Amino acid sequence: MTEAMHVVLIVEDDQAIQNILRMLFEGNGFRVVVAGTAARGEHDARLHRPDIVLVDLGLPDRDGINVIVGIRQWSPVPIIVLSARSAEPQRLAAFEHGADDYVMKPFSAPELLTRVRAIVRRHVRGPLPMGVLELGDVAVDLGRRVVRSGDGREVRLTPLEHRILETLARHGERIVTSAALIKEVWGPDRDDTRALRVYIGSLRKKLEVDPSRPKYILTELGVGYRLVIDPEPSDT
Amino acid sequence: MQDLAAPIASVPQAHRAVGGAWLGYLCGLAITSACTAIAFPLYPSVASVNIVMVYLIGTTFGALRLGRGPGVLISVANILAFDFFFVPPRFSFDVEDTQYIFTMAVMLIVALVIANLVVNIRRHRDLADIRERRTSMLYAMSRELAVARDTETMAAAAVRHVCAVFNSTALVLIADERGLLTPTNQAPASRPHNHHSVLDYDPDLAQEVVARGERLISDAVYLPLQGSRRVKGVMVVRPQSDARAGAQALPTDQLQLLDAFAVQLAHSLRRARLAEAAEAARIAAERASLRNTLLASISHDLRTPLSAIAGAGSLIAQPEYALNSDRRTTLGHLIERKARDMSQLLSNILELMQIESNNGAPRTDWHAIEDLVAHSLRANEARLAQRRIVLDVPADLPMVLVEATLIVQILSNLLENAAKYTPPGTTITICAAVREEHVLLTVADDGPGLPPGDPQRLFEKFQRGRAESNIVGVGLGLAICRAAARLHGGDIIAKNAPEGGARFEITLPVETQFDASPPAEPESLQN
Repeated sequence: MTEAMHVVLIVEDDQAIQNILRMLFEGNGFRVVVAGTAARGEHDARLHRPDIVLVDLGLPDRDGINVIVGIRQWSPVPIIVLSARSAEPQRLAAFEHGADDYVMKPFSAPELLTRVRAIVRRHVRGPLPMGVLELGDVAVDLGRRVVRSGDGREVRLTPLEHRILETLARHGERIVTSAALIKEVWGPDRDDTRALRVYIGSLRKKLEVDPSRPKYILTELGVGYRLVIDPEPSDT
Repeated sequence: MQDLAAPIASVPQAHRAVGGAWLGYLCGLAITSACTAIAFPLYPSVASVNIVMVYLIGTTFGALRLGRGPGVLISVANILAFDFFFVPPRFSFDVEDTQYIFTMAVMLIVALVIANLVVNIRRHRDLADIRERRTSMLYAMSRELAVARDTETMAAAAVRHVCAVFNSTALVLIADERGLLTPTNQAPASRPHNHHSVLDYDPDLAQEVVARGERLISDAVYLPLQGSRRVKGVMVVRPQSDARAGAQALPTDQLQLLDAFAVQLAHSLRRARLAEAAEAARIAAERASLRNTLLASISHDLRTPLSAIAGAGSLIAQPEYALNSDRRTTLGHLIERKARDMSQLLSNILELMQIESNNGAPRTDWHAIEDLVAHSLRANEARLAQRRIVLDVPADLPMVLVEATLIVQILSNLLENAAKYTPPGTTITICAAVREEHVLLTVADDGPGLPPGDPQRLFEKFQRGRAESNIVGVGLGLAICRAAARLHGGDIIAKNAPEGGARFEITLPVETQFDASPPAEPESLQN
């Protein structure tokens, strides 16, 4: 199995959580490297070149955000934050500094494993094709700004809808914060989340099977939006 | 109402509108000349008594239009002209017949009396005009102040009116308990050509106004905003029209009008302060009652799952008990479930604490209700797997200014409850609609309905629908819902639907009606 090659770096100071995570990932075919401090974590990331990094935010030497910033300077490796901090500003800060996902403690072991596998799979698959996005039955031609639904009907994207979708696609399946999205679409002088919400709504109407329960353009509450190309079946 | 926006500054001088004073006198002389020109060809076919009448008409007209000074000038000039042109010997100021002296004296007296009367009437009319304009200007401001609810809005309204009425820049400073002044948000200048929209003021002078409680004038007018016991603030007004003369040159009646504005504003500020104090007291009381009930129940609700976890752990850890793998699994699940319950309780407590300690100010942003509903459904997907979900959330709802996590928390708690207290197969309906100034969110189910008793009691902390139930979770969910809804200025109620099942209604105020259809994009982008 190719998965046996995947290395997971765990930056976490709590012994019990270290042990549990080690059991979980080693038992499921990953190679596990554990670092107890931020400094150690950054060092191990360079040494072992992991396929995925799990970072706790409350580390004894420095804040885990520093680890994310340090690794992001040289590597696009997926980083999952594993934290007991649930406040919105902290989640926002983690995503702004380049985290790929945020898992709250206490976590459920099977759910964490599912998310890690999905992120590794996406990362291995590489960036999204920028020509045509396949979202279930719907195909989006980013070049022609056209959405073609399953029955062959075509709907045009407005320029702003197109720019939003393109920005989301360019970030792969990573979360794009609302502020970053507004900046990329409208430029640095605007701060209008209402307009963003309106356009996200109209995009969903064109792309989603059920716009009131979106599957492709997901809202990350208080943080931003994320484009998901192949949604996990919800019952796993 | 439009004339209210025009500066009042020119009104008291309206009778000089023809130009400077000298122009009035010149016009006076012109009137005399005109009278002479009219009378000259009539003489001698018309008797000199009637010539006098022509001059009197001139005097009346002149006094009416030009005011007292020119009126007197016309009276005198008319006599001289009459004497010169019509009294024999003509074209000389000599008088042959002494009875003409009498005629001219009467003429002068009549002319002066007329001029005086006419001028008095005019002044009264002008004053009445000014008074009426003042009243309507004050009325316009007080009407706006009456609907304002907080200090900032009131100050902004007052500044706007004062700026417009007095053609000036203005600023309102609010004093704290110790009498220290801080400027309120300076409203953007009401006039586009206003260069210094930010008015610089002399802080020392302003403080002195607070200390002395009376109006001071330097380069600007400093007006005290007198509260019931102390000065609540200072309004600084700097006239713009006549920058060099400055505030010193303001006529008394304008100062009186400014005083009236200040009194009006002070009165409204007092009302706002009382309302703010009442609101703060209400929030403090709610916070205190929360803390009490919370502490009373926390220890019980934390210790129970903890003892289960400790017990299960010790069973697993004892080698001599030789538990088979089935039992180990059971105990493992028990530990996980109990730990999760505790974690949930902790999150709930933290959430409540946070809402309460937020000082009544949620971190709001604009959100589409549709989005919030979708998010809470997604977060509870696993729980709701065996329930049927019906959504009625129109896409054209206005956006709401809310703290998204809190609204999602409300919806999640309600969905979680619905999942906990209804059998599988139950239909859960989520509706959103606009009702007047509110958005009404409803979460309803067709399950067994609410327990008997007052449904609103469910929202109290540590209330659970059925006292002796083994359903996990602590009675904080609905308390959080209520705290979160109220934090947004809304509320939540529970009732049994007439057709059966429980029904929770959340109302949220709509801050600003916002059209949810996409704003028009510029055409240039379309290609």
